[in-house]
Amino acid sequence: MELLKNLPEMDLMRSEKMTFVQLIIPVESAHRAVSYLGELGLLQFRDVLNVFMELNDDKSPFQRTFVNQVKRCAEMSRKLRFFKDQIHKAGLQSSALPTLQPDVDLEALETQLAEHEHELNEMNANSEKLQQTYNELLEFKIVLQKAGVFLVSGKSYDTAEGTELDDNVYPSDYPESASLLEQATQSGPPNSSGLRFISGIIPKSKILLFERMLFRATRGNLLFNQAPADELIMDPVSSEMVEKTVFVVFFSGEQAKTKILKICEAFGANCYPVPEDLTKQTQITQEVLSRLSELETTLDVGIRHRNAALHSIGFHLTLWMNMVKREKAVFDTLNMLNFDVTKKCLVGEGWCPIFAKPQIQEALQRATFDSNSQVGIIFHVMDAVESPPTYFRTNAFTNAYQEIVDAYGVAKYQEANPAVYTVITFPFLFAVMFGDWGHGICLLIGALILIAREGKLSSQKLGSFMEMLFGGRYVLLLMSLFSIYCGLIYNEFFSVPYHIFGDSAYKCRDDSCSDAYTVGLIKYRDAYPFGVDPSWRGSRSELPFLNSLKMKMSILFGVAQMNLGIMLSYFNSIFFNNSLDIRYQFVPQMIFLNSLFGYLSLLIIIKWCTGSQADLYHVMIYMFLSPFDDLGENELFWGQRPLQILLLLSALVAVPWMLFPKPFILRKLHTERFQGRAYGILRSSEIDTDSDPGSPRQHEDEFNFSEVFVHQMIHSIEFVLGSVSNTASYLRLWALSLAHSELSTVFYEKVLLLAWGYNNILIRMVGLAVFAFATAFILLMMETLSAFLHALRLHWVEFQNKFYGGDGYKFKPFSFAAIADDED
Amino acid sequence: MGFVLTTLIFAAIGIIASLCARICCNKGPSANLFHLTLVITATVCCWLMWAIVYLAQMNPLIVPILSEGE
Repeated sequence: MELLKNLPEMDLMRSEKMTFVQLIIPVESAHRAVSYLGELGLLQFRDVLNVFMELNDDKSPFQRTFVNQVKRCAEMSRKLRFFKDQIHKAGLQSSALPTLQPDVDLEALETQLAEHEHELNEMNANSEKLQQTYNELLEFKIVLQKAGVFLVSGKSYDTAEGTELDDNVYPSDYPESASLLEQATQSGPPNSSGLRFISGIIPKSKILLFERMLFRATRGNLLFNQAPADELIMDPVSSEMVEKTVFVVFFSGEQAKTKILKICEAFGANCYPVPEDLTKQTQITQEVLSRLSELETTLDVGIRHRNAALHSIGFHLTLWMNMVKREKAVFDTLNMLNFDVTKKCLVGEGWCPIFAKPQIQEALQRATFDSNSQVGIIFHVMDAVESPPTYFRTNAFTNAYQEIVDAYGVAKYQEANPAVYTVITFPFLFAVMFGDWGHGICLLIGALILIAREGKLSSQKLGSFMEMLFGGRYVLLLMSLFSIYCGLIYNEFFSVPYHIFGDSAYKCRDDSCSDAYTVGLIKYRDAYPFGVDPSWRGSRSELPFLNSLKMKMSILFGVAQMNLGIMLSYFNSIFFNNSLDIRYQFVPQMIFLNSLFGYLSLLIIIKWCTGSQADLYHVMIYMFLSPFDDLGENELFWGQRPLQILLLLSALVAVPWMLFPKPFILRKLHTERFQGRAYGILRSSEIDTDSDPGSPRQHEDEFNFSEVFVHQMIHSIEFVLGSVSNTASYLRLWALSLAHSELSTVFYEKVLLLAWGYNNILIRMVGLAVFAFATAFILLMMETLSAFLHALRLHWVEFQNKFYGGDGYKFKPFSFAAIADDED
Repeated sequence: MGFVLTTLIFAAIGIIASLCARICCNKGPSANLFHLTLVITATVCCWLMWAIVYLAQMNPLIVPILSEGE
């Protein structure tokens, strides 16, 4: 015990010591002080105003002091997001300038951002207008080109030659079609008979419907020519390139014209006037072409100008975004502080670790100096009513394990941290379920790759699955190392046993090996020195032997881990000076668990050592059913019967021992403590009037005996029944290792060996590929996840419910680094 | 090789591993104690695994019966 008391403290075992502090900051140094504290990242501010909600009912969240600044920061970050979007749309790479720019003032930044936004918006609007004009001109050019062809040939329309061109004269669906052909043959030169035309361009997808509409509207009295445009044209609405078709509609009559124009508008077809005269056509075409080339150059210049502006913004973008994020965080934190009566200082409260106090004081002094304030910042320790947050200082290795433990529940302040043991027992129990040194080597390679590329992968943005895998790289490393060890013990390399540690301990009874298939081999030497004897693999009695071995192994590991859990509860009780718990919880729990399941473990070991034929199921069952009967063939050692009776009695005594005394003694202690009730009021006046008045202290005055008794009863019943169910739960170690071994055997024998039996190289390759895929996906991925999950469950439930409270809250300091991580 | 002998070998490996941990990463008393805890836990777990499998094979109740087609 002396040695235990003189051991140094282990930081990871219990939370860092935290203290509650109060800060009184003069207004001029407030912003700077909070920024420096944010860089340090070791103080968790408590929202003072929420505490005051009952007292200051008039202060709503919208009336916080720095609300305007927060709004301005939000506006600035909106502008920055807009810039980022624009840069992304323009397809530019945003490269940040590596040089450290001096901190730009927030107001100057605001005006700069507003200017940039205005500039960008103008440029975008201008280029949009130009683009629209460009599109129209482009369409006009295409219409001129294609429609010109129709009009030229239309002049020589005397016969039904028109059918040679790709115009659409409808088949006899429409009774009017006959008349159309007649009209075309009968009519003279188009100009003279009042035949007019409309030319335009329409998206290709709508042209069929458009044609039918026109046909119906004009009752067939039209000639419709169309030709596809050669170029793709940008659609302004969807900003995609669409295929368009040029059309020319020949019609006669004023009503037809209005109808056609309306239909054109409805279908979104753009109509452009094409002159009939050939010379005029060429003239206009020339004009359009020259204007097009002008516009192209103008557009190019515009785009280059905008890209230059975006490029210059892009240099500073990350820096500005970080700045704005930090400022917003600082103002949010400042909102958590409260102005005091004189309106000259801000008062704030928070938690910080004791070891961080000098660093915080130094940061505050720097802030005072840098802001040229006359008054220093007051920083002093206060008493707190509520429980402190829990803080563990972890490194990259222990962080993953701490997160595994925290996922179930964050440790209460200063209770024992199961992560200390989980670092080893979690990968170990995984390996017991995974045991195969071939698969272990594959996992090891994967883990080493992740660790070797640590630097590169940690700066990249990874997908959620890769991120989890990367975060758990050290867990994976230990899991693979233990898997290799357990694989050597189970003697399985992709389910194949090897004689690594010497010859097998079994051989045939005689040289002919005649009864090896009936009676079996014989053991002629000492047991195989390390692991399972390779002779077992493939034999008919393999499963009975391995099942018995693994089941008993699971029970032994289970009882060992549960005892460790109860021991941790003992150390917790010692730390919190809770002798009541030691005497009336720890001792009966140990007695109960060990007199039943500890005794079972002892029987297992004795049976193995003596080679007795006793049936342990019967031993345990008859220990309860008929403890006074003679044991007969189930006797493993001398004095077994009286020992069993003794253990049974101890277990029976232990149950009321853990159930009854504690509530009664708690009630007695409570009445003793609060005998002088009148003095209670005097004690409460020592409390700082600012802190939360009354509610925890009020609870102390009440002692609800029935509540305490029911709580203790639930706890005891949970332990007693749980001891049976938890011990049985550890049998999953056997179950999963059996499943893994069987799957591995099946893939090896039924896939690889089967394929290898053929002489064909193709079948062998296919077999090898199927074996590789099955091993990688089913055994390496699915089984890993499965064993991981079950090992996790064993830790969270069976191990931790013996001692872990897990109802604390995590220490979340105000830190710029954490904000950067969060947003990403 | 005998149960006791191999147990002593495991203990020796454990002691060597903790000495190595102390030499390689000596980062203050708290971290040293933590490393020692890890090494001891790992040694105990590995030894337990080996011991269980060894004890189970010391006096077996059944023997391997080869199956047909071997």
